Amino acid sequence: MDVKQEIRGYVVEHFLPGGQGLDETTPLISGGVIDSIGMLGLVSFIESRFGIEFMPREVDAHALDNLKMIEAVIDRKLAAKQG
Amino acid sequence: MSHLLEPDTPLLHEWLLRAAAATPYAIAVEEDDRTTSFGELVESACALAATLRARGIQTGDRVAIVLPKTTEAVTAVFGCLLAGAVYVPIHPRWPADRIAAVVEDCGARLIFEEADSVVRLTGARGESPVRWDDALASPHGALPSPGRCDEDAAVILFTSGSTGRPKGVVLSHRAVAAFVRWSAAEFGIGAADRIVCPAPLGFDLSTFDLFNMALCGATCVLVPENIGWMPRFLVRYAAEKRVTAWYSVPSILSRMLRNGGMGVGVCPALHVVLFAGEVISGSDLALLTAAVPGAICANLYGPTETNVVTFYRIPGQFDGAAPPPIGRACPFAEVLVDESAGELLAGGESLMTGYWNRPDDNARAFVNRNGSLYYRTGDRVRLSSDGNLVFAGRLDRQVKRHGYRIELGEIETAISRNPAILEVGVVATQEQDKGIVITAFIGTGPAGGRLSLLEVKAHCAASLPPYMVPDRVRFVESVPRGTRGKLDYSALEKLARE
Repeated sequence: MDVKQEIRGYVVEHFLPGGQGLDETTPLISGGVIDSIGMLGLVSFIESRFGIEFMPREVDAHALDNLKMIEAVIDRKLAAKQG
Repeated sequence: MSHLLEPDTPLLHEWLLRAAAATPYAIAVEEDDRTTSFGELVESACALAATLRARGIQTGDRVAIVLPKTTEAVTAVFGCLLAGAVYVPIHPRWPADRIAAVVEDCGARLIFEEADSVVRLTGARGESPVRWDDALASPHGALPSPGRCDEDAAVILFTSGSTGRPKGVVLSHRAVAAFVRWSAAEFGIGAADRIVCPAPLGFDLSTFDLFNMALCGATCVLVPENIGWMPRFLVRYAAEKRVTAWYSVPSILSRMLRNGGMGVGVCPALHVVLFAGEVISGSDLALLTAAVPGAICANLYGPTETNVVTFYRIPGQFDGAAPPPIGRACPFAEVLVDESAGELLAGGESLMTGYWNRPDDNARAFVNRNGSLYYRTGDRVRLSSDGNLVFAGRLDRQVKRHGYRIELGEIETAISRNPAILEVGVVATQEQDKGIVITAFIGTGPAGGRLSLLEVKAHCAASLPPYMVPDRVRFVESVPRGTRGKLDYSALEKLARE
């Protein structure tokens, strides 16, 4: 499963039709692509899609501001789940 | 200390001094696992006041508080008031340009802000900053009386401005006190209450928890930012903290009820649930009254300019399909319906002093009726058969999204600052499941030179808060105009719905 592609697909579908210019370091929250309510939807999608659960300190605008950072958090949580 | 204070003092900071004298060891502020007693809060706030005075703050000066709603921010609020200053809360997540513009507009001389996770007090003119711990170390044995009266300004709340700049609503001690005193009496708030209001300091809602804490000796339970993000964290936090009184915008309650697991018995201590700032749906209200049987639920209404002026207590289990009415006037308020447009006019004790430094806006905002001053709310209302006022829409282009007040004209001004954009029209439409959706139409001219959606969003995010960034951007050759050359917003709304 390509985590980054799945997240990218969700962001393009919900926030950035066409996805033009979106790469793994595009700032999503500070760049105005996703607001806090949108982030709520994204986090809910990630939790149900990957079967993981976020903790309060992990849901932060600074920690989830681009595709690369989001992927890193998901990978870490998936690894912890399997380990 | 308490014998020196008038029992009915209308000064907000004197409420805190009185509470601290009466119950110094009771908890005033609780933030996650950190607690601050009334005695500690007063000690810190007096030290901050002494620091502010030592740094040249005089009675009536403005001090900006650019902090999330933390224990430090609450201490700073009371420090400002004790120093005789006016506090100006600014959301720290606003773009830097917007924060700087508001600081300049209100002429704040000092700013509480966070840098590298440390709170500090800085000067607006580049003076050397004072670290929080040092600001608390000021000796303050004999704090000079700031000599304030209840008509003096306590706070300036900046809200979206239709001409492209946020405008500052000046509220006096008296105006804030009128709402807080009434809310305590009406909803039975007392020293045993543990109050949550998950709204930023810059929202008028935040007068409820901060000053009921001071007035009643209650506990103000602050929600850490990362908990406020997710509905289920928020529900768990409210349950663990045994919260008894709640005040928020309906959007937050909706998410807690629908996605956060807030069902029957989850928050058994809640005896008051208040909401304001936008229309609550009938279905959300039915979920709410089912989840907190026995609690008082009430719909409060009022723009920032008047704080709350009408209220409606939900009678028991709500099963209506339509949103509830906004109800009847609070006893401290005067409301009238202007017959010609059906506009609600609101006045009385909680009315703002005026917009900060905006004579033209003030001339438009106020109207004199029967010798009294009223604020033109811009809200259309009608009177129902049972005597309750019912909200019936706006007379202008202001919208509410997730409880945030947005002037669409401010978004247009921000977008049009980009030299690559020839013309722009912004509209808001209501969509099933999504609520209010903001669409920006950008005219690119016949050459069709265009920015990407990403570039437009990034351009907006550089000067607007996140909730004002348009959801959608449509590039058109020219934005439709009416016969007089004005933008045709009804045509744009139709296009947006396609």
